Amino acid sequence: MAAMLAPAPSFAQQGPLRIVSLDYGLASTLLSLGITPVGISDGADWDKWVVEPAMPKSVVDIGSSYEVNFEILLELKPDIILTTPYLDDMLPKLQSVAKVLRLEIFTPDSGPVLSSAIAATRKLAAELGRETEGEEFLARSDAFFDDCHRRLVGRQVPPVALVSFMDARHARIYSAPGLFDNALQRIGVRNAWTQQSNYWGFETIGIEELSRIADPDARLIAFEPVPPDVMPKLADSPLWRELPFAKPGHLSILPPALMFGMVNEAMRFAGLVTDLLEQQA
Amino acid sequence: MTLHPRDNMGPALVVLMLLGAGCVASWLLATPAIFSSHEPHYGVERMLLYYSTLPRLATALIAGAALALSGALFQQVLRNPLADPTTLGVSAGANLALVVASLFLPDLLGAGRDIVALFGSAIAAAIVVGLGARRGFSPYSLVLSGLVLSLWCGGLSAILTYLNERYLASLFIWGAGSLAQQSWVIPLSLSWKLAAVAIICSLVIRPLSLLDLGDSSSSALGVRIARLRVVVIACAVMLAAFVTSAVGVIGFIGLVAPTLARLAGARRPVQLIFWSPLIGAGLLFLADSVLQLVAGGLGDFLPTGAVTAIFGSPLLLALLPRLKVRHRIQQMPVGRRLRRWNGTAVLLAVTCAFVLLLAIAVLLGRGADGSWTLLSGDLWRDILAIRAPKIFAALASGAMLAVAGSILQRLTGNEMASPEVLGISAGSTFGVAIALFAVAPGFSGQFAFAVIGAVSVLAVILLTSRRSGFAPERVLLAGIALSAMVDAVVGVLSSTGDPRAALLMRWMSGSTYLVDGSMAAAEMIIACILIAAALTARRWLDILPLGPAPAAAVGLSLARSRLALFGLAGLMTAAATLTVGPLSFVGLMGPHLAREAGLTRALPQTIGAALIGGSLMVAADFIGRTLVSPYQIPAGLVSALIGAPFLMLMMRRKA
Repeated sequence: MAAMLAPAPSFAQQGPLRIVSLDYGLASTLLSLGITPVGISDGADWDKWVVEPAMPKSVVDIGSSYEVNFEILLELKPDIILTTPYLDDMLPKLQSVAKVLRLEIFTPDSGPVLSSAIAATRKLAAELGRETEGEEFLARSDAFFDDCHRRLVGRQVPPVALVSFMDARHARIYSAPGLFDNALQRIGVRNAWTQQSNYWGFETIGIEELSRIADPDARLIAFEPVPPDVMPKLADSPLWRELPFAKPGHLSILPPALMFGMVNEAMRFAGLVTDLLEQQA
Repeated sequence: MTLHPRDNMGPALVVLMLLGAGCVASWLLATPAIFSSHEPHYGVERMLLYYSTLPRLATALIAGAALALSGALFQQVLRNPLADPTTLGVSAGANLALVVASLFLPDLLGAGRDIVALFGSAIAAAIVVGLGARRGFSPYSLVLSGLVLSLWCGGLSAILTYLNERYLASLFIWGAGSLAQQSWVIPLSLSWKLAAVAIICSLVIRPLSLLDLGDSSSSALGVRIARLRVVVIACAVMLAAFVTSAVGVIGFIGLVAPTLARLAGARRPVQLIFWSPLIGAGLLFLADSVLQLVAGGLGDFLPTGAVTAIFGSPLLLALLPRLKVRHRIQQMPVGRRLRRWNGTAVLLAVTCAFVLLLAIAVLLGRGADGSWTLLSGDLWRDILAIRAPKIFAALASGAMLAVAGSILQRLTGNEMASPEVLGISAGSTFGVAIALFAVAPGFSGQFAFAVIGAVSVLAVILLTSRRSGFAPERVLLAGIALSAMVDAVVGVLSSTGDPRAALLMRWMSGSTYLVDGSMAAAEMIIACILIAAALTARRWLDILPLGPAPAAAVGLSLARSRLALFGLAGLMTAAATLTVGPLSFVGLMGPHLAREAGLTRALPQTIGAALIGGSLMVAADFIGRTLVSPYQIPAGLVSALIGAPFLMLMMRRKA
């Protein structure tokens, strides 16, 4: 009955919807709403960058998200294509294949990414007529973040800096208003890198700039993949050895987590970080 | 060897000025650290000064000196004022080696990134210098082969990066040359390498300065020229490779420093080789400290190497009038060994092959499960509507590039001339970069900016070369300078890690992906008009390669007909670049294959080149579309991959 009172979802119809997603975050959100997409872009690299939730092997890979293979997309006969402002170049061509649902998560003026991602999840759920599943999923995620927060409360939780090493001299560091920074705040962990970054939430730095982090207790968390020559080169650097992160236990390497993601990716990140800090504290 | 104090005043003054300005800038950089060092509990500022700021300044000094010495040696031994590690492709070789190693042999990279880069530079240098030796070290052909090799290495690196874009993000930085340091390891190891090479140089400096007398006179004086060349080139390559492997590609210091030395009054080889490294050291020292001050203010990451290239490459343009190239319009060497084949029969065979290829490309594709499928079923109209525009855009672009290539090759009498070298494609790439980063990224915006970029490059080329009466060498080398500048700008943009850089990369790699029906139709119409124009100019194309005298005898205005033909080639290149990117080698392969098939006169060669160029591009598009389906390799990159081995083969044979 509730469904009848709510505004009618634009894409509600008979039978299961055939949905194609051109964004990892949207694809994983679909899975959480109880929908398996028929096709996703960059499917070959899912296990390398997103990892969980696992994508069923039956989902067809439709090529790179920048260059969707339209011949295969047509063959899939989708009802709805999920896209982001990044792929606006393709919008007219996508619209000629199926209804397009365009969701904004990373835009110059949308503010903190996690809030945008939650708003986009609600919008997606509403458009697909899955409000109940959407709210359940968001409640699950809230509970998950609260649980992470609870696990860390009362412990001596150090501030953490989050990086991906690019080579032995450069890294990307993650900060506000990015997804990882938002997730850190949500679970009550301070980001040791306080400077604002671009609206995707990262900044490219020379490794020596890590010395701007003055807190001697700060931890450094690097995400896979780490290029093979980074660790030996760093060990040779007196500057690195002087940084708080060179102390035993202050540097950890975690499995990959996707920074350009949505709620699921924030949860995976929060879970990985909480597990790590819980072990260490 | 006496040095007159008078001649050395100028260079000494330049060195002092550069070092002085650099010291001021680096003092501004270092003062916060020096005066805030009284925090006793945590000496991070001090540590930063000792292990990052100072090693970085030292690296700048040493790398600048090494690159400048390398450039001076190259210029001296090749007697070529444009030679430097960047123009000879040494750094592009190193970059490619790094890309390959990081993809296929990551353990090798862990063991020694330096060794990998060194290996790549050495191979690149061996190829370019080896080819140059067969051509009597003509300044023109040497720099041109260096550039072509750079294009090739860049193309291969781009394919590999394209298929693994996220993982290789670090290589953008490597290619753009960053001096950021966290220890003294790099400056110390560089300094002993530089010292070792400098000692070797001091031993060969006397015979080297005798080379200026000419080969025969210097051999009469007892100089073993061949051995001397090998030693000096090896030194120069080692210097460049050491720097590239340590800090990445630092563009054009090796060109700028010797030029400054020469302008300041250093005339003799001894002076040049003595002062260039000092000037180079001061130059990079100043550039890097100013850059750090500026970048610190912007809070942005800027790689030094790409920035020096942005400022250094215009110098290449400015130096062109000083390059003493004789007005060297020669007859086509290949034209003389004519094959006894019937032109009509050849054209017929080429047309048949062309039609067959087109049919395959239109009918064959791959499905969702990866299987090969013929165009059929209920979706055939929709699939054809997607496939056909790409195929026809590729066809039009390939044909235009090949015709542009045959015009250029006929005008310059150089079989290595090709539209890629003209820099027009680089200009439109630059336009797209501006559209993406500064203005709205809509497709029509990108298109408009690409045209503006192409047209302005064309205008610059024509204006700068007017004084020389459109001497072909000048036009082509001006194109190189522009390409280098655009590469540098794109390098800076890419290294910021901005996801929009990925879009730019895609465009540069020559993907037909964004082509739709109306654009394909436009390309086809443009191609028909421009190729028809080229065909009507067949008389000029037949006469101009014979040299200035026959042209004047039949009342042909050299300057005006060249202007028209270069303009035509430029327009065709611009239109083609919009769909297949700046990297394809079709403009080089098309005319060659046509001539090899026996089509030597302007009309049949142009028609043949258009058909062959079109076929090559259609084939490249087909391979790119089906080979790694559902993923796609851009047609421009596939054709570069096919074109490069072809080019190498050709360069060996024609020498």
